[in-house]
Amino acid sequence: MTAAPGMRDLAQRLVTYEAGAGETSAVAESPALLVFEKLRQSLGEFVGVAGFQSLASRALTLARPEAPSLSAAWVAADGTLQGLGAIETQIEMDKNQVGDGGIILIARLLGLLCLFLGEALTLSLLRNAWPGEVFDERIPAHGRTT
Amino acid sequence: MSTQDKVRIKQLPTGVPGLDEIVGGGLPEFSFNIIAGAPGSGKTTLAHQFVFANATPERPALYFTVLGESAIKMLRYQQQYTFFDPAMLPASIRFVNLSQVVLEEDLGAVLDQIIKEVEKANPAVVVVDSFRTMVRRPESSMDLQSFIQRLALFLASWQATTFLIGEYAEEELRDNPIFTVADGLFWLRQTAERNSIVRKLQIIKLRGQDSVPGLHTFRITDAGIQAFSRTFGLTGHVKNPPSQRRLSFGIPELDKMLGGGVREGDSVLVAGSSGTGKSVLATQFIAEGIRQGEPGIVAVFEERPQAYAERAASLGLDLETPQRDGKLTILYLRPLDLSVDETMHSILDAVQKIGAKRLVIDSLAGFEMALSPGFRADFRESLYRMIFALTGIGVTILSTVEVDESFTEFPFSTYSISFLTDDIVRLRYVSIDGQLRKIMVVIKMRGGNHAKDIREYEITSAGFVILGKRLTNYQGLISGIPVRSGGPDSMD
Repeated sequence: MTAAPGMRDLAQRLVTYEAGAGETSAVAESPALLVFEKLRQSLGEFVGVAGFQSLASRALTLARPEAPSLSAAWVAADGTLQGLGAIETQIEMDKNQVGDGGIILIARLLGLLCLFLGEALTLSLLRNAWPGEVFDERIPAHGRTT
Repeated sequence: MSTQDKVRIKQLPTGVPGLDEIVGGGLPEFSFNIIAGAPGSGKTTLAHQFVFANATPERPALYFTVLGESAIKMLRYQQQYTFFDPAMLPASIRFVNLSQVVLEEDLGAVLDQIIKEVEKANPAVVVVDSFRTMVRRPESSMDLQSFIQRLALFLASWQATTFLIGEYAEEELRDNPIFTVADGLFWLRQTAERNSIVRKLQIIKLRGQDSVPGLHTFRITDAGIQAFSRTFGLTGHVKNPPSQRRLSFGIPELDKMLGGGVREGDSVLVAGSSGTGKSVLATQFIAEGIRQGEPGIVAVFEERPQAYAERAASLGLDLETPQRDGKLTILYLRPLDLSVDETMHSILDAVQKIGAKRLVIDSLAGFEMALSPGFRADFRESLYRMIFALTGIGVTILSTVEVDESFTEFPFSTYSISFLTDDIVRLRYVSIDGQLRKIMVVIKMRGGNHAKDIREYEITSAGFVILGKRLTNYQGLISGIPVRSGGPDSMD
């Protein structure tokens, strides 16, 4: 089963926002990794490092069948995503494919949050990390993962 | 020190219906409180209600979770309550997970982390859920008591009202030094009584103001916790002075027997065995009140309101119209695990909503059965509190009670509650001339004289209660097996 369209759309908006913001760093160079890192920091505060690590690992497991570019990625004990940046640096891999992998992973992570916390609370938590305009369109009701 | 020199302690709403009254008006601002109880007793829900009632973006709430329940699961379940507003997260309510620092470091580091977060957020409310799970390392440089002492000192200085949540068993309450630090100690209990679960809360300690002592029942519904004060929300209410006004039953002959009617604010007991017409009298009493412009409430326990109204209709008494017009409320109370306080809360709500002047409790036996077994043991005491509270606000109560008919005794009630009532009307069967007839006698009228007559009565198919003349031609009427001593009886 693939990531729900609503979640992919939201993940895409977050990644697009980060790409536009141009906030790259040595830690996370791709927009998708920036989104992941922001999620790790804002969610980690209230679910704890171990809590985020569990959620992210589950999201990665769900995302892998859809995105071969995630096959070498893993979530470290501190919740950081490892392996994805290394793949991105490999020129041989299609950049779009890598970007898609990141979006699918984030979509899966958001889907899990929606599943556990509901749409309203998930959006409330995300608004803490991103400006309101990113969430202009609400997550469709069918946008929950299974 | 004069009153005006004293510092005024602001009281914060607890967010729990009924609890403000129990704590004496609200929770003292900047107080350091402990919520203790066994797992599942409602500690987290209580804290959440307080947080959602008080947090603002300017002065948010910081909710520290430690070990045990994960934050995601906690929010998943807590958001099912109607008080939970997801829009308040995270601007007004921030959840901060301390599990890593608790697992990897000692209490000193935990305290440092809390201080860091508090200094950053400037919260009005701080919750630590649960502080007991913090104590993991015996070799910690700081024991729990020192930790709590320093935490209390710091949070009070930072103008935060604090709740620490802890799992404690009853026996741990005594001589526990941790509790001496707290300004407020809330104890939640959940006990099984036969097949019923009863929840009770106690304010063991609350500095700076008078809380209502004792165990108060509470219920957890989809709206969260609702507490029912032992004083029924009437703390500080001035008791109405005794009224001399008489209320009619709508049965002129009965009114005459009662010396002009029931005195307003009285508690009347109508006692009799099954089929003697207790409910008919009660319904007449309510219907007459409505005719006189006095809204009424009927609390029924043995049948549903619709059935009750239909039965009244079959006797020619229209209870549907006054219900539609807001002049009558028929309360159905039959969950089998009620507390008297909870019942009283429903009745008081209805009294205030329609401005009720008359209340019928039909019947006391049904009321007792609706209570949790533990409360049945205190039924008389509970009735006393309830009757005292309701008559104190000017409501006239008519209760029906079924008595086991005996042909050797003439009991007024199976509950020995006649001392609680101002007036008693006794109905009973008598055997006369091969017929089972009914007699009525007014046993007691606390507010004045009443007729001493024993009178036969009939209830017609149209619901009219027709009283005959005094039965003068029989001896031993109250035994139920009278002996004719004269001519034909009054009903003939």
